[in-house]
Amino acid sequence: MKDQVELVSGNRAVARGALDAGCRMYFGYPITPQTEIAEYMSMVLPEMNGVFLQAESELAAINMVYGAAGAGRRVMTTSSSPGISLMMEGLSYLSTAELPCVIVNVMRGGPGLGNISPAQGDYFQAVKGGGHGDYRTPVLAPWSVQESYDLTRTAFDLADRWRNPVFILLDGLLGTMMEPLRAREPIPERAAPSWATTGMFAREPGDRAPRSIYTLHMPEGALTEVNRRLQAKYQEITREEVRYDEHFTEDAEVVVVAYGSVARSALQAVRIARQQGRKAGLFRPVTLWPFPEEALGSLSEKVEKILVAEMSSGQMLEDVRLAAAPSCKIDFLGAMGGELIYPGTILARLLEE
Amino acid sequence: MANLKQLAAKEDLLTGGHRACAGCAAPIIVRQVLLAAEHPVVVGSATGCLEVTTTLFPYTAWKVPFIHNAFENSAATVSGVEAAYQSLKRQGKYDKEVRFIAFGGDGGTYDIGLQSLSGAMERGHQMLYICYDNHAYMNTGIQRSSATPLGAHTTTSPAGKVIPGKKQYRKDLTAIMVAHNIPYVAQTSVSHWRDLVTKVKKALDTPGPTFINVLSPCRLGWGFKPEDTIELAREAVENCFWPLYEVENGVYKLTYKPKEKKPVVDWLKKQTRFRHLFKPGNEELLAKVQEYIDTEWEKLLQKCGVE
Repeated sequence: MKDQVELVSGNRAVARGALDAGCRMYFGYPITPQTEIAEYMSMVLPEMNGVFLQAESELAAINMVYGAAGAGRRVMTTSSSPGISLMMEGLSYLSTAELPCVIVNVMRGGPGLGNISPAQGDYFQAVKGGGHGDYRTPVLAPWSVQESYDLTRTAFDLADRWRNPVFILLDGLLGTMMEPLRAREPIPERAAPSWATTGMFAREPGDRAPRSIYTLHMPEGALTEVNRRLQAKYQEITREEVRYDEHFTEDAEVVVVAYGSVARSALQAVRIARQQGRKAGLFRPVTLWPFPEEALGSLSEKVEKILVAEMSSGQMLEDVRLAAAPSCKIDFLGAMGGELIYPGTILARLLEE
Repeated sequence: MANLKQLAAKEDLLTGGHRACAGCAAPIIVRQVLLAAEHPVVVGSATGCLEVTTTLFPYTAWKVPFIHNAFENSAATVSGVEAAYQSLKRQGKYDKEVRFIAFGGDGGTYDIGLQSLSGAMERGHQMLYICYDNHAYMNTGIQRSSATPLGAHTTTSPAGKVIPGKKQYRKDLTAIMVAHNIPYVAQTSVSHWRDLVTKVKKALDTPGPTFINVLSPCRLGWGFKPEDTIELAREAVENCFWPLYEVENGVYKLTYKPKEKKPVVDWLKKQTRFRHLFKPGNEELLAKVQEYIDTEWEKLLQKCGVE
């Protein structure tokens, strides 16, 4: 049955990926364009003896995630841009308490209530923080329904490996479009980790001491120590978890840097450009944090120009600028307010001299 | 109190051409509310069907000053507006009599906005908060809220093998508002225009914070024909699912008593969200729905001192 190919949406693929990764705890709240994930979970989780819980707000949902993660369960919440903003307090606490969980943002147009069209305006929020304090969260950016499934499974593993919240950034286009999905063998939910607050009364001799989870560190130097440990962990993640994808970059003169659904437009534009004699390529960051700085840096030494295409006013653009060699020209193609970037628009920019 | 003819002669302050569904009760409620106002009003609205369908950029259906903010913030936003107005008044920079009305659906009021509503009521802003209660998150496609009745199917309380629709009873928000000891709290229905308009007028004439909960049938979420909206609301009043009453300075008063309390099943049968309750095996749940209405109705009669 697992060899079957199914036609599903990106939203559904995220839900399926989570279930197949052994996630049985889902907390969420309705918001377009990702409500389908909650609806699907409400349908299947009760049948699996799992937990589907619709919170009274996103603020409550993220803190339910905090509770369930603290209890040592694989847990996920999903939302879209305005709802993710409400979760930012929880993100800061989850990061400091080092609780593994997966948070999915199916991005829509902003700022404010914005609209419900696809956008990538939450890059800064996911990649640079969003909540208070010096924390980081790995951010995965799939570009297809299949990858939405695969990276959701990966996200749970990363969360556990690093005891850290992990973000998945989709956009409204990826979330709602349908493509073939080939699911892999599901795994059972893992056992609660050794740090989880799983219940202990320390009544009998030999009982372990109760564990606690907290983020207030008042004694002198204590918070510095916590921050040092966190930063050391973030450096390790930066070394070990960079993921990216390249197409036609070997001999490219001009390279598009794009992620998510924009990268799909970009790949088509690159193919057409090549047919027309322009040596174009695509560099696609799969982890937005850690950003593939080194790979993009060395690529930028070989190409004339980088074209950053993203559905924002230029957020990833800043990371590209930091990574690229000073000799490389950097161009930008943006779209805001829920407008898509079509292959033709990218193509026109690639054919410019 | 104006009669229907006089009200009909007044200008509608929410125009037609908005994008609410055919048969939506929310715009009817808003029009009745604005007709009842005798002073200029400033309206705030939370995210929801009402806001989304009446303010499609670059248009607006509102002929009154209108301010929107996120789902949980209607009461807080209008608190800010009202505080600014009071300050200008104290400074002698503004002297007009203005009324402030905050709208929210049940999602934005019972759930995510309860904190800001409670805060606004406790602080005592000169504000009328109106909840149009359609029993679920209809704007995002019918998810359960804490106003969804027991047994109702929604897309996040789906009736199936494991659960028979929503497993919990409704939250009694009107009672929670009464517990704030504010000067005026009422419950009314889109079907009873005179009751609604009288209560809104009373609330707007009351110094201090006031709250009105209005039943707002949703043809999409409840599953009925668009032309039956008012009838469905009326039946909910007649079977005492949604009693009409007010609480003025802590004193309960029943504003409408059905001549004969009808069984709830007839009303449930007209809505597809309750369809599964009539399948074999759900008799007990169906009985619980009726039992709950009976108990709540008896409690209310006692509070109102009605035999």
